[in-house]
Order: sequence, then structure tokens, then C-alpha cells
Amino acid sequence: MKKVLTLLMAALLIFTLAACTATQETGKQSNSTKNKEKVLYMNNGMEPTSFDPPIGFDSVSWNALNNLMEGLTRLDKNHEPKPATAESWEVSDDGKTYTFKIRDDAKWSNGDDVTANDFEFAWKRMLDPKTGSSAAFLGYFIKGGESFNGGKGSEDDVKVKAVDNKTFEVKLASPQAYFLSVIANPAFFPINVKVAKENPKWFAEAKTFVGNGPFKLTKWKHDSEFEMSRNEKYWDREIVKLDKVHWAIIDDTNTEYQMFQAGELDSSAVPAELADKLIKEEKVKVEDQAGVYFYRFNVNEKPFDNKNIRKALALAVNQEKMADYVTKNGQKPAYGFVSNGFKDADGKDFRKQNGDMNKTDIKEAKSLLKKGMQEEGYDKLPEITLTYSTDDVHKKIAEALQQMFKESLGVDVKLANMEWNVFAEEQKALKLQLSRSTFLADYADPINFLENFQTGHSMNRTGWSNEKYDSLIQAAKNEADESKRFEKMYEAEKILFEEAPIFTLHFYNHVYVENANVTGVVRHPVGYHELKWADKKE
Amino acid sequence: MLPYILKRIGWMLATLWVIITLTFFLMHSIPGSPFNEERATSEAVQKNLEEYYHLDEPLFIQYVMYLKSVVTFDFGPSIKKSSQSVNEMLGRGFPVSFELGMATLVLAVVSGLLLGVAAALRHNGLIDYIAMTVAVIGISVPNFVLATFLIQQMSVNLGILPVATWASPRHMILPVAALATGPMAIIARLTRSSMLEVLTQDYIRTAKAKGLSPFKIVFKHALKNALLPVVTIVGSLAAAILTGTFVIEKIFAIPGMGKYFVESINQRDYPVIMGTTVFYSLVLIIMLFLVDIAYGLLDPRIKLHQKGER
Repeated sequence: MKKVLTLLMAALLIFTLAACTATQETGKQSNSTKNKEKVLYMNNGMEPTSFDPPIGFDSVSWNALNNLMEGLTRLDKNHEPKPATAESWEVSDDGKTYTFKIRDDAKWSNGDDVTANDFEFAWKRMLDPKTGSSAAFLGYFIKGGESFNGGKGSEDDVKVKAVDNKTFEVKLASPQAYFLSVIANPAFFPINVKVAKENPKWFAEAKTFVGNGPFKLTKWKHDSEFEMSRNEKYWDREIVKLDKVHWAIIDDTNTEYQMFQAGELDSSAVPAELADKLIKEEKVKVEDQAGVYFYRFNVNEKPFDNKNIRKALALAVNQEKMADYVTKNGQKPAYGFVSNGFKDADGKDFRKQNGDMNKTDIKEAKSLLKKGMQEEGYDKLPEITLTYSTDDVHKKIAEALQQMFKESLGVDVKLANMEWNVFAEEQKALKLQLSRSTFLADYADPINFLENFQTGHSMNRTGWSNEKYDSLIQAAKNEADESKRFEKMYEAEKILFEEAPIFTLHFYNHVYVENANVTGVVRHPVGYHELKWADKKE
Repeated sequence: MLPYILKRIGWMLATLWVIITLTFFLMHSIPGSPFNEERATSEAVQKNLEEYYHLDEPLFIQYVMYLKSVVTFDFGPSIKKSSQSVNEMLGRGFPVSFELGMATLVLAVVSGLLLGVAAALRHNGLIDYIAMTVAVIGISVPNFVLATFLIQQMSVNLGILPVATWASPRHMILPVAALATGPMAIIARLTRSSMLEVLTQDYIRTAKAKGLSPFKIVFKHALKNALLPVVTIVGSLAAAILTGTFVIEKIFAIPGMGKYFVESINQRDYPVIMGTTVFYSLVLIIMLFLVDIAYGLLDPRIKLHQKGER
């Protein structure tokens, strides 16, 4: 017996030693390769949904896709649209016709020319209801876009046209000052028609992927990792400094952060439990994201059919406490719906200019509640249920709200949680009384936030309807004069908070850590990352 | 033996059919839809998508179409990852999960048996107490806690092993250790108690009286009989571990198939739900079948064909 045990022990020892020597060798190897090339190590979180531009309409696809391909415009370091595949454009006097000149040296990674045809094909395909793109609504600015996507119009009525090989013309339904910013979105990227006709699944594997961006896809092990290297055919290749970008696919934030600590990643998100500590120690970077965390009232249900009761609850919420003691992730309290960072015609920030809309005011909240209850003849409020989708952070916020309503107004609120998919369905069907919500902007303009609350809009989900509001939004959408357009949007937001079908909690942000040697990674508030200008010092 | 095996295969197919049917109807009875997104798409788009995945057909027709796809073992495209088929996903994920699972099983069974035997031989002695303390800790510490702890110590603090991903044999050490500890503890405890029982039996005393070496007594005579309860649990354990473990695969970013079980249900990705369920059931049923065969080989008193005919 003892002999056997000794033998086993010996075997174990040998195995361990072997493992250790392996450690040293592989360690050396990875160091020497690192010296030769500039490789940035990033994490994509999850397997990209798709690298088919109109289908990959989410951050796990965008972050990579935005660096593999390029639209007519690209957002610069200040998040402003700048010429990209298009070297210039002309806008007609009525602001409705855009004529883009595609640069001569714009090439696909397989050497083909990027042509106006590639854009026409891609944009029409995005709007085709058969494609099933959830980004298609972005193309509703284009004349004929909405009816084609809605199954009513035909492809030929979509007013995008390749005038010649390098000239691309777009007619809009109404003037849009932010059109150039919208088309920087990956959904508007061109598609190499020749490649797509030969292989309709060209985007599914690294081998067949053909892009026109600063990097090209060189390796894609599904669910595990992918890699891109500098695209030597890219028109602006001189400016790209990284040789390679390696993307790991790590879903667990704790693991991601530990990999960053161990030097296996150059950038990482921050685990929720550590965020507060790291923010205080100033070890993280915090950047604004265009999005807002808010709650929707259902104005068809008692007691929220009464405006004053809605406003009472809205004013009883303490956004500052919520951000400081509950979410603790460095978020800015939201006292309006449009987030920070949108400049009006005079260069003033929308949020600052329109002021605080639902800043905590317990006294006012109490008197509004009293007034509302009198109007409705309530001695006691009907039962209120607050619903959130199952998640730790949502739960903490819901519990804090419950306590705030109780302490400030003496209102009891019941909490309920639901799995996300069921929650989303019930919220859309107006079955929830008071429910948690998120809005993340798709493009950088306040109208993207405000249009949601038009009557019957798919993002409204409150049952609220206001004629004045609807007409202001429509007028703003058709307004070519920027200062007049902003006036209308300012007024619309005021109505939204005067009527209070919603109340806001905080604006979203990106909290992350980054290797000190890395420079130039741009994170746009509307979501995607930009690695074109990124560099890594040795 | 052969009639028994044929009969068992018949029952296995029937079980599989029940599982498929139940899963199919349960899955369609959960509210929500695979096309439910924060942004609503146009009705025309919704209709096209439903048509494409045949979700507009009556449920019974979908069920029949589904049975057909199971028979041909072609589960169709994933709804959420439309450029990939369920077969591709399983074909990619299963080998990885299998690799992780096999390593875990071998480690758990070998170390569990050794610990259990050692503890039984030194009953109420120091080795017994140490082994059982290890086992209790192994059972009570959840593997995700152990995993995080191991990463922090071995990778972040000491820097001797990689944190995560599945790139080389070295990447296997931590996840296998984290995953094997629990099963190892269960096997150790089971082995110990059944060994204790077997060791008091008459035939062991006879063997000792014959003057056989202790090694032969333990590993040839005692362990063989003590193995029965262990084999029972190893069967279902193997099915569970080999088809992937959600938590460990997530923590170590291992591209196995564990995540498909959970994600597909959250996303209502019907083809993936069915694919993973059928696959898992198949592996489980086969494992249980192998366990039954193993019984007969280990213990001649169990006559399979008689049991089958009764």
C-alpha cells in the first residue's frame, strides 16, 4: 500500500514540475512576440451577434465592426462626424439632398474599389423588411425608407442612388442637421456587392470577411477570441499605429478585471463591488454615455392617471442620494431626459440650458400628492406596484425608491420583479403600473431622446399622449434652422416633465480601467469604440 | 444480454421523445419572444422573421417539423446568432466542454477514490479526519467561490497561472481544480462509507485469513464491491459535467456549451434551447445506460437480462 502511495506521489511531483517548466517557456514566448508588434489586448464581453452591419446592432458587434469597416463619415475624437469613406459632400439649400463624393483611394480589404453602388446596395438592404434589421428605423430619415421597411413601399422608392461609381446621392424626408452623425453608425456601412453576391454569408467567418476600415479581421474563433490587424488597403493607413488588436471574449466582469490586473488585458470594465472604491482612489476613467435610467408611469392606470400624483412621486425621488449611496458607479444624477453633451446652435449644452426638470423637492411633492388625492377623491392611494427586470442593480434601486416614497410621502409601494423578456413584453403591452426603464441613444442628437414620447411611439410605453408635444417634435424634425429647432426641443422637454409620464434617475457612463501605456482609444457617448488613433507604448 | 440492450434502447428513445415533447411545449408556453428587443422593429420585419423561422405556423405543425429535425439531427439556424447553426454551436462547444469535463472527472474520481480508501483504512485516524475535513470543505464551498479565490491567488497575486480563457493545457489547471473539488468530495465520502461497510464483511476476513497482501485485499476484493454506489453517481455526474457547466465556463471564459443552456432560455432562442436539451438528454441517457452495464460487470449478483425480462 505504502509503495503505491509513494509511486503516486512521485508521479504527481513529476507532473507538477513538468507543468512549471512549461510555464516558464510559454512566458518567454509571449514576451518576445510582444516586443516585435504593437498588439492591443481588448475584451469584447460576448461573442459578436453578427458582423453583418445592419444585424450587428449592439455594442458587442459595434466595437469591433466600427474598426473593421467605415461609413461615409466617422466620428472624431470630439464625437463630431468627419469625412471618412466620403471625402466631401454637398447639401442642397433645402437641406434635404446630400451628394457624397467617395474618395478615389477608398478600397476594400480585398483590393476592390469602394463604390457608390456598395452604399446603395447596403442601405437598401438595411431597410428591406426581409433583412430583419433592428437598426432599420435609423433609415426612416431617408425618403421612402419608412414605407419600404413597413412593407408598404418598394425598394425603388427609397431615395438613395449611385449617380456614378464614386458619387452617392441621398434624398431625405426632411432636413436633418444630425444626418451626418447618424450615418457614422455601423448600420450604414457599405457592403462589397461583388462579395455579398458570391457568398451571402461573407460576414460569418474571418476568412471571408471583407471590410474597408482601419483594421481587417484576421482570426475569429467563435465564442473564444478574434483578432484584427492593420488594413494596408485602408486610405488613411498612415495614421493607424497598432499592428494588431486582440479581442478576448470574457463575459464575467470579475475575470476581466483580474486579467487586467495580471496584465493579460489592456483595458477592463470595473466590477460593481469595486467601482466605488476605485473611483474614490481615482484609478479609473469615467466617461459620459448618451443614455438615461428612468421609470415609466402607466398613465392609463389608477392612480397615475392623475398628473399631480405622478409629479409628487417624481419629486420625492432623491437622485443624488441614489447615485452616491445606491448605484455608486460615478453616475451623474439626471434631472432631465436629454443627457449631457449636446450643443445647441449657440454652442450651449442642452442639459444646462434647459435646467433641472425634476429636482428633488419633498415639500412640493407632499402638496402635489395632497392636491392630486383631493382631485381624485382618494382617502388612501390605490395599490401601487413597481416592477423591475431581475438584476441586482435594478433591485437595489427599486428598494431605495420604495423607501424614498415611504419616507417622504408615506406612500407604500409593492415591488415585483420579472425576467427581462417577460418584463419587456408586459411593459410594451402597458400591463405594468410603474416600471424601470433605460434609454440608450442611437445617435447624437436630443431629438433621439425626445421623439420617444410621441403618441403611440414604440418607445413611449406609458400611454401618455400630448398633442402639443407631438407637434413640437414633428416641427423640430422638419426644421432646417438650428436655433429654432433647439427652441422646439427645449419646449418639448419642459412639457414632458410638466406632464411627468416618467421620472429620471441617472445618466449612464462608462467606467473602465486602462493600461497607462495605451493612448488614443476613443469611446463615443453613443456606444462604439474607436481604435483608429490608438497607440501603445512599450 | 442482447435482448436487454435492445429493450433498453427502446426505452431510451421513448424517454427522449417525452423529454423533447415536454421541452417543446413548455418552451413555447413561456411568455416573451426571441424578437423581443428594447427597440421595436416594424410589423413587416417581425412578420418576415417569424415566417423565416416558421414561428407563424400553428404550434402543432412546428412540433412535427421539429421532430423531423431531431430525427435528422439538424437543429437549424440559431435565431439570435443568425449566421450560425445550432449544430455548429454544439459542434464547437461540446469538444471544449468534453475536454474540461473529462479532465475534471478523471481528477475527481482518482483523487476521490484515493481519499475515500485512505480514510476508510485509517478509520477514525488522523488521515480519516484530514480526508473528511477536505471533503466537507469541498462539498460546502461552491465552485464559483473556489474559482475566484484560485484566480486571485494563483494568477493575480502569484502570477504562475493564466487567469482565464482556453488557450493551452496550462489554462486547464485552475478550472479543472475548481470544478473537480465538489465531485471529488462527494466521491470520497461515498467511497469511505461503502468501503467501511465492505471491509467488515466475511469474505474480507477470509481473504485476510488466507494471507493475501493488504494491497490485493483492498484494491481487488474490497474496492470492487465498494464501487457500486460511486458508479451510480458518476454516471449522472459525467453527463452534467461533460455537457458544460455554466458558472465555471463563464468565470474562466471557456468557450464550451454551458452558456448555451442559460442564454438560449433567456433569449428565447428556440432552436438552441431544443438543441441543447436534446443533446444533454441524449448524453444523460447514454451515461445511465453505461452505468447499468457497469453494474453487471462489477457485481455478478446483478443479472441484467433477468431484471429486464421481469
